[in-house]
Amino acid sequence: MSQDISAALVSKETLKALRAERRDWIAGASALARENKKARKAVMDRLAVASATVPEITEATGLPPDTALWMVASLKKFGEVVESEKDGSFYRYALAAEAAQAQEA
Amino acid sequence: MDSSKNAVFDAVVIGGGIAGLQSALDLAGQGYKTAVVEKDASIGGKMIRLSKVFPTLDCASCITTPKMAAAAHHENITLYTWCDVQRVEKDATGVSVSMIQRPRYVDIDKCIGCRKCEYNCPVLVPDTEQGGFSGRKAIRIPFSNAIPQKALLDVENCMLCGKCADVCPTKAIRYDQKPEPRRIAAKTAILATGYELSSVTGKPQYGNGDIPNVIDSLQMERLLAPHGPYGRVLRPSDGMIPDSIAYVQCAGSRDASMGVSYCSRFCCMYAVKQAMLLSGSLPLADITIYYMDIRAFGKNYEQFYQNAKAMGIEFVKAKVASLDAGQGGAVTVRYEDQTGEGATSRDHDLVVLSMGVLPGFAPGGVCPVGLGPDGFIQSVLPKLSPSVTDLEGVFVAGVAAGPKDIVDTITEAGAAAMQAAKYLTALSGKAPGAANKESSHE
Repeated sequence: MSQDISAALVSKETLKALRAERRDWIAGASALARENKKARKAVMDRLAVASATVPEITEATGLPPDTALWMVASLKKFGEVVESEKDGSFYRYALAAEAAQAQEA
Repeated sequence: MDSSKNAVFDAVVIGGGIAGLQSALDLAGQGYKTAVVEKDASIGGKMIRLSKVFPTLDCASCITTPKMAAAAHHENITLYTWCDVQRVEKDATGVSVSMIQRPRYVDIDKCIGCRKCEYNCPVLVPDTEQGGFSGRKAIRIPFSNAIPQKALLDVENCMLCGKCADVCPTKAIRYDQKPEPRRIAAKTAILATGYELSSVTGKPQYGNGDIPNVIDSLQMERLLAPHGPYGRVLRPSDGMIPDSIAYVQCAGSRDASMGVSYCSRFCCMYAVKQAMLLSGSLPLADITIYYMDIRAFGKNYEQFYQNAKAMGIEFVKAKVASLDAGQGGAVTVRYEDQTGEGATSRDHDLVVLSMGVLPGFAPGGVCPVGLGPDGFIQSVLPKLSPSVTDLEGVFVAGVAAGPKDIVDTITEAGAAAMQAAKYLTALSGKAPGAANKESSHE
């Protein structure tokens, strides 16, 4: 996971000391990043099949609905997911790349 | 302008919200060198986080952003963001502000705000700037129109993976940055420290924040904002478009059990404003406001309230007793209807609590300024000069002196700037620039 960050004007010794000093924070952040990655992949995999509403994403991924919505909102913020058409009381979400392709076609 | 570790100014404004910015701009416009000290990573305060303002329904960021930009680019204004004020001392020579510059873990002189670090960071945490409804990265620009547009790293959620440093085109990441003490000396100070909302966790009858789809009014502002977390109003528990939305007024005010026995003054009008915005964005939704009294005291406020009623927003005169989680994500509101039905209940898809307004700054041990019984900074001449405090040369502006709406806040901030300018003129015997003008006439 760790990369060469010597170009960031921090010596290897300083970095080592920082890693030791922030050990608990790093462990917490790493656990969070693993969870994020898993949830992100589950949502992206479901949307790769077809656009979906939050309840449909929940059903396919097993994520709680509020977590699924939170992940969709986060992915939307970073341009990976877009809102699609309205479906009853919900909106459908689609992968941004596929939505762009569909629009071009 | 760049900020330095020890600096001397004519005036220092503590708080970079709309009150602080207005005061700073008014002072700087008169030629006074002014420092603005802000605890957040961006100036703009609460107002830049709002969707629209009442009663005009103007876009809040369209009013605030130009003032933020004007302050940032003003030659007489120096901004200090992400700073904790440690001490404000007043003596015969003026005001001295000691503060700690918290580390951003980014060299702000090098950061160009490109957000490459943010896009590549692998850690997502709830974004409080968006009410917690979406995620932000451990390293990020605080929000889209933040000033300064500089990244900051949340070191408690950083795993030191190095991705941000790797992609930064200007090598601005500084993982080993430390807090730095700074000191500002000035002749006068304006306290414009704003407010915080009381917590939803302080009221067990309203679920202590554990009932899904019960949110506070600032979270609703984010749902209504065009650059909000969902881009529209959705129910946070499952993304459903809400059919029925309720407002619980005085949820954290006029309630001695929460330590807020006073009226927060602007909740009635922002609830009416949000209800009107909701009826525009969700025309088929039922919107109900449970209230004890509607306080529509400002210019055109009563008309605004009457317009809301005419738009079909239901006003129920009732004190809500409790909230409970209902079926399918609904929230059950139990209340006593004061116009006839007695104790009853109703289910809503989304409930907004109008929480109380608390002082944004506890000066105890930091600044020897007098406080009122409500904890807000006390004005010694509330009717004649509301910005005058018991500390000579130290003035107060905006909600720091007590709950008030944006119109009154801006007016009072202008008044505080004039009081400070008057004080500075009395000290020197001359207005700034007067010496230059005199010499040019000679």
